[in-house]
Amino acid sequence: MTKRKLMPALYRLAYEGRLAPGFAVVGVSRTAMSNDEFRDRMHDSVKKFLEDSPFDEDLWRSFAQGLTYVAGDVGDPASYVELGKHLAGICEDRKTEDNVLFYLSTQPSQYAEIAEGLAGAGLNHGAGWRRIVIEKPFGHDLDSAGVLNGRLQKCFNESEIYRIDHYLGKETVQNIMAFRFGNGIFEPLWNRTYIDHVQITAAESIGVEGRGAYYQEAGALRDMIQNHLLQVMATVAMEPASSFTSDAVRDERAKLLRAIRIMRPDQVADNAVAGQYGPGRSGSERVGGFLSEKGVNPDSQTNTYAAVTFLVDNWRWAGVPFYIRTGKAMPKRVSEIAIQFRTAPLAMFRKATAGAETVPNMLILRIQPEEGISLKFVSKRPGSGMQLRPVSMDFNYGSSFGERSPSAYETLLLDAISGDATLYTRQDMVEASWTAVQPIMDYWATQKFNFPNYAAGTWGPEAADEMLARWGHTWRKP
Amino acid sequence: MSGTQTIKPDKILKELGELWTNMGKSDEAEDQSHGGGLLRACAMTLISFADDEEDCIALGEVIAGLMKEHPSRAIVVRVREGEDYLSARVFAQCWMPFGHRRQICCEQVEITCSMDRLAHVAAIVGPLAVPDLPRVILLRSARVVRSGAIRKILPLGDKIIVDSARAGACGFGEIGGLLDAGHIAGDLAWTRITELRSLIAQVLSSRKPSTITIEYEGKEAGPEARYLDAWLEVSLPDTRVGLKGSGQPGSGKPTIIRIDGDLTIQLAPGGAEVRIGSLEQWASLPSGTDEQLLNSELSIVVHDRVFERVLNHITA
Repeated sequence: MTKRKLMPALYRLAYEGRLAPGFAVVGVSRTAMSNDEFRDRMHDSVKKFLEDSPFDEDLWRSFAQGLTYVAGDVGDPASYVELGKHLAGICEDRKTEDNVLFYLSTQPSQYAEIAEGLAGAGLNHGAGWRRIVIEKPFGHDLDSAGVLNGRLQKCFNESEIYRIDHYLGKETVQNIMAFRFGNGIFEPLWNRTYIDHVQITAAESIGVEGRGAYYQEAGALRDMIQNHLLQVMATVAMEPASSFTSDAVRDERAKLLRAIRIMRPDQVADNAVAGQYGPGRSGSERVGGFLSEKGVNPDSQTNTYAAVTFLVDNWRWAGVPFYIRTGKAMPKRVSEIAIQFRTAPLAMFRKATAGAETVPNMLILRIQPEEGISLKFVSKRPGSGMQLRPVSMDFNYGSSFGERSPSAYETLLLDAISGDATLYTRQDMVEASWTAVQPIMDYWATQKFNFPNYAAGTWGPEAADEMLARWGHTWRKP
Repeated sequence: MSGTQTIKPDKILKELGELWTNMGKSDEAEDQSHGGGLLRACAMTLISFADDEEDCIALGEVIAGLMKEHPSRAIVVRVREGEDYLSARVFAQCWMPFGHRRQICCEQVEITCSMDRLAHVAAIVGPLAVPDLPRVILLRSARVVRSGAIRKILPLGDKIIVDSARAGACGFGEIGGLLDAGHIAGDLAWTRITELRSLIAQVLSSRKPSTITIEYEGKEAGPEARYLDAWLEVSLPDTRVGLKGSGQPGSGKPTIIRIDGDLTIQLAPGGAEVRIGSLEQWASLPSGTDEQLLNSELSIVVHDRVFERVLNHITA
């Protein structure tokens, strides 16, 4: 993570002149290495993983002056004392005003221990601000999330804890709020009267690719739906905040997450589908099944695909299903939100067009790969007669603004540095989303699935299609 | 790109994205001097199969012509000789409409594969289709139609267009099978007789014939003659309709339609001579190039109920 995402994002922020002159990065891990060795490693990583940007050696030399390294062990209190001395030196040398952001790019099981180690050495307070950033997963179920939150909050105030969800840093996800609340024409339609259902898809074309051992412990429901996709759903469905401030926006997201109907055990089978990919094909390439991945138990019951129907019990969304699906080894890499509107009340063109006019309007918010928004509607074909055809009106970030979108990590790191937690998740949001998926996890834990149940390179198990068919809907092919 | 490759749809989509970014940049540079612009147009995904170099070139020309009325993401699959070959490239086709200063561009993906890799093409082409817009498959290649891979290819399309008059192409039974599977089907052999059907409908607007004979050249009626025969039988259930061959070797195409004893429609290149008693009249019937026929078929992406009734009548 540090090599692939964090350091390239920091370098890019430096490239754009968005970091303070004395900005410094301290690398901490168990491996002994000098500052220069650390700089060389980061140099190679940034050069390799920097996307859509040139690498400037002169800028790097200046940026690298702020890179230093401290070797230390998570469980050793002396390491934190050493780190404290190092930070004090940096504060004096680079005039950082003792502002420190701790970014835990570590095993999630070490988060609480590190926070306690930092607090034990008094590093959770200082003359400047102190903040701590942690990556998902925030616990592995509702109980463990509660325990983690409790331990973190003994060391840092909730306002100092930044739980990063990189999906929320993506331009399109941020743009959902601009789209909904910055325009006058969409919000009046944004409710159960006009919206038929919502589909949220996050598909990966690759399998677990060597991460089988890790993934076996997580699964698609925990890895994607509990965090990223429920946060996206909350952004799509939340009520307007009274202001664009961190707590006002997060309050509305949290309210929405709490309004998700909690499934009873007897409702799970009809509203949630687990899948695991078997051998298949990704494009022209043959792909082995999940069970053939290194480190995966041959009897593994891990879900590499999950699809869930969520209902939201509030006035705006009562009766509108939110279908969320995510999977590995699917036909293409795509993340998007598809909002399907109700059809026109009168099919006045039915005879002339053999039913084509009943195609519902659809709004597609594309998160990746090409961030943008499309509105699908029917239009008359030029010429005589009344022939209707579906057409698509597209907005594409890349071509509309002609400038590079910052990566999610650039956005989120800069927000954390400047103290804006709007795009970070809060304790109550984390616990509300665990509450929504916990009954599904509990039910699935009692089942013996007949895995694999979908071939690599396909859109998931048939049971997922049947889940939508019960509502009279079909999955969109993105 | 050249040579056998591992082809992933994500990579092709990324290349398409880069293609537009680069075209946008070069257009921006030109734009400052000419004030023009570039429009990316797409109303459907058109997937076509060609099975040798010559057909591929002809198909390329047809697709280029179609883009003006039916701008599409065109995916051309070229099946070539040899074994274990697969490659892909992306490019754009642009034109400047007369009197305009803005170019209109459509994207094209060309996939070349050997016959043994054809089955893999479905897994590549499916994810490349533009979401939410119609997906039309043009099946010109006889080898593709006869291959086992066809079972994987057909589900990719909302509408399948064939030409039953081409050697080795789909027969009526196979087209009927497409309808049974829920596809919208189109046959260029049917489209070819649209103008003739229109002429016959005009001629018969004020009479109820008792017999109609469709004469054709050759020993066996071709698809156009059979469609015409079935259409008349379906439309005029009280009329005796029959087919009559010349007995000599021939194409099987209709030559004369005889209605009762006094009315004939004699087909000739570019039109037909209509005789009623001593009256003669020439009607123009454009023969229709592949591009014109496809233009007409691509305009119908819903079920053509008349065509389906006629086909059902033939296959019943």
